[in-house]
Amino acid sequence: MTTPFLHIHGIRKTYGPVVAADHVELAISEGEFMTFLGPSGSGKSTTLYIMAGFQDPTAGDIKLRGSSILSTPSHKRNIGMVFQRYTLFPHLSVGENVAFPLRVRRMGQSEIAGKVKRALALVRLEGFENRMPAKMSGGQQQRVALARALVYDPPVLLMDEPLSALDKKLREEIQFEIRRIHQETGVTILYVTHDQEEALRLSDRIAIFNNGKIEQVGTGPELYANPTTHFVADFIGDSTFLAGQLSGVSGARAGVRFADGTEVAEVPLHGRGSSGQPAELMLRPERIDLAIEAGVPGSSLPVTVEDMTFLGNNTTVAARTSWGGALSVRLNFGHPLSGRIARGDKLHVRWSPDAAHAFVRG
Amino acid sequence: MLLDFNKLGVWKWVLTGICTLMALFLMLPILFIVALSFGSSRWLIFPPPGWTLKWYAELFADPRWVGAALTSAKIGVIVMVLSVVLGLMASLALVRGKFPGRAVLRAFFLTPMVLPVVIVAVALYAAFLRLGLNGTLPGFVIAHLIVALPFAIITISGALEAFDPAIEDAAILCGASPWEARLRVTLPGISHGMFSAAIFSFLISWDEVVLAIFMASPSLQTLPVKVWTTLRQDLTPVIAAASTLLVALTVLLMIAASLIRKGKSE
Repeated sequence: MTTPFLHIHGIRKTYGPVVAADHVELAISEGEFMTFLGPSGSGKSTTLYIMAGFQDPTAGDIKLRGSSILSTPSHKRNIGMVFQRYTLFPHLSVGENVAFPLRVRRMGQSEIAGKVKRALALVRLEGFENRMPAKMSGGQQQRVALARALVYDPPVLLMDEPLSALDKKLREEIQFEIRRIHQETGVTILYVTHDQEEALRLSDRIAIFNNGKIEQVGTGPELYANPTTHFVADFIGDSTFLAGQLSGVSGARAGVRFADGTEVAEVPLHGRGSSGQPAELMLRPERIDLAIEAGVPGSSLPVTVEDMTFLGNNTTVAARTSWGGALSVRLNFGHPLSGRIARGDKLHVRWSPDAAHAFVRG
Repeated sequence: MLLDFNKLGVWKWVLTGICTLMALFLMLPILFIVALSFGSSRWLIFPPPGWTLKWYAELFADPRWVGAALTSAKIGVIVMVLSVVLGLMASLALVRGKFPGRAVLRAFFLTPMVLPVVIVAVALYAAFLRLGLNGTLPGFVIAHLIVALPFAIITISGALEAFDPAIEDAAILCGASPWEARLRVTLPGISHGMFSAAIFSFLISWDEVVLAIFMASPSLQTLPVKVWTTLRQDLTPVIAAASTLLVALTVLLMIAASLIRKGKSE
């Protein structure tokens, strides 16, 4: 196996009895856009801070091109970073902010001027050299911070929820800019966020953090279509969980039996389990269909319609199963049944075999 | 806003009246002194029968007055420099440091502010008798530094608390060594606090009279002490002229301080 470009190897960080990061293991290739996604306190920021050198890990190592960076002090790691808060130097102009990393590297005046100009052009802030940070919007300030973090061509750029202080519209605009800048520069990016949409929009791969551990790593479509844990299934995309018991486990597939004896069969199973063990069936509202007739036995459930909400491009139907479990189905605009359903209608939800997932509980 | 001043109705006029009276109450004695310093009467008659600059001429011709003013300025500048340097170091420890007893230490640093000045003066006088510092420049400087330092610590700590440590982190990630980050980013970032501390430290020393009376010797006295001792001998308009100059410098520095604060908030 070749040495990965960036290898986060068994990183563990504890504060007294609290485990902030627990054996985080991740290999990142050069030029990759890797996002750490998870709720607050899941260990994603801790891992990033260890990478930046703000904290030392309790155990583990981080290797860049095969050699450990942990013994190098932060200011010699040559890593770029954009922070959650606005961190432009308030007493320096935009141009001098971007020039700062080059000045501390004792670079020549003409070289600095050229690099600052290119970096500001990269974030589309040409001509802002003499502006003071206080006279700029939050979005502009974060773009300057991005230019300042990239001007010295760091091998890795860390971004710690850089857009969380901005409003939604501006956030989407800058997400687009970040994507373009990643493509133009080819810099390896580690991006921390708790916003799944942001993660899906930006990343090549996403590492889902929970309770200090990485639950799953994969591309957005992989995580959406094939979540391996209950947490990932819940965190990426919308999902409904129906509690039941495993029945007829065979290899990586199993059936699930519910309270009133209703059964579904041949569902991809995640986690080890045997018949009779508590499990949950996951159905995504947009990957299941609502129909008047039942579908293939085992991939269909009878339901009673409880409520409908028209949301423009789709109608979301809240329904209840025969044993009283709640689930929701999303009907695209133009679906034959949309607009023709009433509360209390007895219908069937059905799905193609791989659209449902079963997770062992425990 | 519902509680806007303009919506107060008749109360608006009452409040305006009270504020005007307050301002007059505070300002009149000073305006009175300023008027007298330009008045032609030797007996400090008010309103002055005529206007003259001769008291100022007399003031500047007298080496004792000029000497006292120079002494005041010298002590003020030394106190200012020491107060800002020590205040900065103390603030860095109190705000950025992580050690037990920080709150206690901060309270301890601020005690000279609440202690009666005369008690500090007596205590210092007794201590300096042993050390032979009474009537010396170092004695003056130490005495004034004790009362100036709490103000420097308050203003510099305030500026440092408002300065996001993430900005320092950013400087270090950019490649600046920790010391480079402090010098090139933190210090300029809190410079308004240090300027305010400098101005207030100078003013505290410049205006201070109680400690100065205890520290003064016939050959070394500050301007407020000279005003005080002259006052006890005879009542000459030269005192009014000296007082006016004292007040003028104070007002100028206060304006400078408020301009710095305004520049910061913009």
